[in-house]
Amino acid sequence: MKLSRREALHGMMAMGAMAGLTRASWGQSQTGDPVWQAFEAAKRDHPEALGLSTQPSAGRAGQARLIEGRWPEDVQGVLFRNGPGCFDRDHWRYRHWFDGDGFIQRWQVGPQGVEHKGVFVQTQKWQEEEAAGRFLRPSFGSLPPGDLGLGSTTDMNVANTSVMMAGSQLWALWEGGAPWALDPHTLSTQGEVNLGEGLGGVPFSAHPKIDPKTGDIWNFGQDPMGARLILWRLGADGAVKSVRILEGVPAGMIHDFMITERYLVFIIGGPWMSDLRLPFLESFAGDQSRPMRAIRVDKNDLSDRKDWDLPPGCVFHFGGAWEEGDGAIVCDAALYKDAGFVLGGAYDLMRGDFSGARNSHSCLTRIELRPQGRVDLSAYEDCAFEFPQIDPRCVGQKRRYSWGVAQIDLDRALSGGLARRDLETGALALLDMGAERIMEEPLFIPKGAGEGEGYLIATALNTKTQVSELHLFDAQALGQGPIAISALDYATSLGFHGTWQDS
Amino acid sequence: MLKLTLTGLIALTIAHGILAPESEAVSEGSNLTLTIEGVETLEGKVMIALFNSEAGYDGGDLYEAVQVRAYDHQVQYQFSHLDPGQYALKIFHDVDGDGELDTNLMGIPSEPVVFSNNAPMRFGPASWNDAQFEIVAGENTHSVRF
Repeated sequence: MKLSRREALHGMMAMGAMAGLTRASWGQSQTGDPVWQAFEAAKRDHPEALGLSTQPSAGRAGQARLIEGRWPEDVQGVLFRNGPGCFDRDHWRYRHWFDGDGFIQRWQVGPQGVEHKGVFVQTQKWQEEEAAGRFLRPSFGSLPPGDLGLGSTTDMNVANTSVMMAGSQLWALWEGGAPWALDPHTLSTQGEVNLGEGLGGVPFSAHPKIDPKTGDIWNFGQDPMGARLILWRLGADGAVKSVRILEGVPAGMIHDFMITERYLVFIIGGPWMSDLRLPFLESFAGDQSRPMRAIRVDKNDLSDRKDWDLPPGCVFHFGGAWEEGDGAIVCDAALYKDAGFVLGGAYDLMRGDFSGARNSHSCLTRIELRPQGRVDLSAYEDCAFEFPQIDPRCVGQKRRYSWGVAQIDLDRALSGGLARRDLETGALALLDMGAERIMEEPLFIPKGAGEGEGYLIATALNTKTQVSELHLFDAQALGQGPIAISALDYATSLGFHGTWQDS
Repeated sequence: MLKLTLTGLIALTIAHGILAPESEAVSEGSNLTLTIEGVETLEGKVMIALFNSEAGYDGGDLYEAVQVRAYDHQVQYQFSHLDPGQYALKIFHDVDGDGELDTNLMGIPSEPVVFSNNAPMRFGPASWNDAQFEIVAGENTHSVRF
């Protein structure tokens, strides 16, 4: 049968060939993907690139070798971490660090030493794209050529931001969709978690808070189009206890939140949503004049709400919050003056630009939200500080300390030290792990009885030896340096957040 | 414009995807044989809306709506007596048979949805520009996949 040109076109469209045409014309390009090429070129001179390189599809496994100190007998358990691990397919590279598919890393510490395993969360997106050999879906910050669009949050869920235990499951968390469940021993993917009727694919963010008194898990999901939050309360087993909606929440960036005994506390900063478009991040703009917003609501009565305006800024992470006797809420946040990292620096990294030239630096900032409406901010400007962590026994309670990653060299996007800030005296304990190490989020392992008694466990990328390492510190004596360091014989991708589980 | 006459809720199952013999074709106007693949469960109905204008597609009047029982993982339906021109389809699988497109708390469909040309959704229905296709005089075929 001979087709007219019109019929032929019709037939091709019906077969979905328009996407293929776009891709074919891409493939014929003489120059290729400039982002992919720039990163490949940068790899030669920048070992930091190891942390932003695509991991093997089949994952990684290996034994870490003790290179310094020794592991104490009372540290036995598993550190789970999550972060983006697939950045390019078919010689086309994601534009933004937050796009990459979730790669779960499992560091087991015990009598057998330190064992490492890394696997991709087998999300629907990852499986489809692995089969196709190219990216198919719009991601947070990128629009791959010939994309197939989005029908649901599942289509773009990369499950790449954090992990939490829910009963016997390990959940890989993202913030634009539902958790993905894995077996915590084998890391095999069990499927997307459906928390109930009408709740499939509904956002469950990556910074759940566990109430140390009840064991309940509090979390939120953002619906920026609806200017509202979904508020989740789960039991320790992961079963939903309640789902409620908080309306009237400005559509800015909400990555983390806080709980106190009585309240949920949100601080929303830039970038702010303007027009919905794809890739999703391009819906947001850094409005440097718009105030940040703080909201506290009663856990049991959302009508008991108070809002505060704060100076313009940007925030990913909080240490935590508590209530003072006079009704004030006190909290600490890693505050940026603008959204330079999310709207600039996180793109630059993907091109292999590690200068951090477009980043502003976050300073841990003590914030007091007063009941009469006043807000007091005091920034600790002597140290660039991110990934704040606290003693988990103190979540929601008055406490003294925050630990985190300290940026030692402000002329490099990724650099590494650790710090502890005393929120009562302002004192800083700082540990510089050397220019060759990129330190990652330190997690607190409680020991003893008092706040701060315990260890810090943290992963690092050693750019000199080009391997990944696991470090242990005395949380109260950072200055003494690591108690133990074990090193793999390979480098894995950098991650964002994790959780520690005692054996 | 020809007045639309439908062949009713008769879904044509044609072996091996080959079109019906010409003798069975309707002689007047254009026909469209629509094939919907990827029907996951054989429950409920496949709901099909045909539009012949951008205004209609973007929330105005639909041109014709039909329901087809989800009798197989691939279902077909024939529209008859259409005027040649630009058309677009919105289709969903009403798995629970309640006549509604079920959504989650966010308003995102929780039942399968597809548009003509398998046009991509981008935080909402596919656009008319992406979903429109031409119906010419005589026989036409169109396939989509959930």
